[in-house]
Amino acid sequence: MSITQEDLAKSISVSRQTIHAIESNKYVPSAILVLKLARFFNKPVEEIFQLEETD
Amino acid sequence: MRKLKLLPAVYKWIGLILLIPSSYLATHDISFLKTAHTGRNFTNDNLSDEIGFTGIFIGLLFLAFSRLKNEDEYTYYLRLTSLQWAVIINYTLLIAFTWLLYGTAFLAVPMYNMLTVLLIYIVRFYSLVFIKSIDRS
Repeated sequence: MSITQEDLAKSISVSRQTIHAIESNKYVPSAILVLKLARFFNKPVEEIFQLEETD
Repeated sequence: MRKLKLLPAVYKWIGLILLIPSSYLATHDISFLKTAHTGRNFTNDNLSDEIGFTGIFIGLLFLAFSRLKNEDEYTYYLRLTSLQWAVIINYTLLIAFTWLLYGTAFLAVPMYNMLTVLLIYIVRFYSLVFIKSIDRS
């Protein structure tokens, strides 16, 4: 499924910069946003976000 | 994301417009703003710098805490980190100038320090917004 950052951002009501910051590892989203993303892609949360060693 | 107290976006412009005459008032004495006789003892009889500084403080507050067009949790994060950044930079400058200036020259330090926290926050937050091309109003 190919979708632009802009379209993804619009559908979960955040800005494109938020998606970009999440993808480039500069920002950890809130639980609400994580759940919205999981619902959008229809995948379990752990497939999209993983804990790191330092967490 | 906790709720941040933010003013409507138009207050950015109100604050900016408020700053210009207030900075002039704070630094120059306008002769008609004499103290009325209130029964208290005022040692200076010109209120233009009181009004001027109040205008500057309110203008800076409006600029600092007005909403962007689209606020989301990332802008909340940027605001929070910019705020801490501004406080740390402010106190670093304070320490530096405490040692660099003495006597009456030092009096400039607390005077400017009244403005620098908000000013540094405003510059930092809006430059982050600009660099990341977030939509402002």
